Amino acid sequence: MTESFEKRTQEVLEESAGRLDGRTRSRLTQARHAALAQLPNPARNWWRSYVPAGAAAAMAVLAVVIWSGPPSGTLPMAGVSPVEDMELLSDAEAPDFVADGDDLEFYEWAAGEVES
Amino acid sequence: MTSFVTLAGVYSTPDLDGERSRDQDLMTTSRALDQFLSSVEKRAFKIAQLGLRNDDDALDAVQDSMMKLVQSYASRAVDEWRPLFYRILANRIRDMQRRRTVRGRIMAWLPVRDAEDDQESDPMAQVPSHDPGPAKRLELDEAIGVLETAVAELPPRQQQAFLLRNFEGLDVGETASAMGCSEGSVKTHYFRALENLRAKLGEVF
Repeated sequence: MTESFEKRTQEVLEESAGRLDGRTRSRLTQARHAALAQLPNPARNWWRSYVPAGAAAAMAVLAVVIWSGPPSGTLPMAGVSPVEDMELLSDAEAPDFVADGDDLEFYEWAAGEVES
Repeated sequence: MTSFVTLAGVYSTPDLDGERSRDQDLMTTSRALDQFLSSVEKRAFKIAQLGLRNDDDALDAVQDSMMKLVQSYASRAVDEWRPLFYRILANRIRDMQRRRTVRGRIMAWLPVRDAEDDQESDPMAQVPSHDPGPAKRLELDEAIGVLETAVAELPPRQQQAFLLRNFEGLDVGETASAMGCSEGSVKTHYFRALENLRAKLGEVF
């Protein structure tokens, strides 16, 4: 008798709690969130966990760059090797603009003739 | 390369490892608290509502209790939360009842104001939770109304013992902890509450 009475009252109260209107349920949810918001937020510091990995990666890249020596690929001059440069510079028949300063007017006249 | 390994080893400091572990603990606690609070919030509201007979006051009492639990007892063992939470809620309800008694004495000297003037219409209040069917609903409506009136009229300690034991399902020890009294007192209050309720509801239930 007592047990069935207790069980019945419990069922009725449970039913009542389950029937809470939307406003009350919404305010209870808000209250819960407000309470939980007091806890420090770990998401705020998420980036700090990536700092060691980032630093290690940066150091690895730096190490690779240092150990592989100076850059091997200075841009190649189009179709001209350093050996050909040396031949041109040492060619005795090449015009010497600096030494033949007297002929400078002649070269300017010749250039004008070509353009016209 | 040796220096790189050494530096990397130095850089992954125990502080950061500890912080990551603390963050994980915090997230676990937050999830557990969320689950716990959502599991008790409706019953806690009903308990506060029956004790205070006012929805807004009941919501305030529940919110204050949630805040207090998270603020002061989040680090306690999970199985301690339930009695602690109901202890806080019981204290909050008692404080509000006392304050209301004092306010009632003061207000008795002032002109009466219609309480309905303060009520704002809220569309959310009109949303029903679930509908078990008209006949069953009517029967349950009646049972809920009669039972809640009878429970609300119980002396505070009997009401507390009845709601915590019968409705919230705390055992005698947890109820004693929540009520701040001995297990013997809990048994006495609960027995008297059942007697009172049976005397009032015997024919209906």
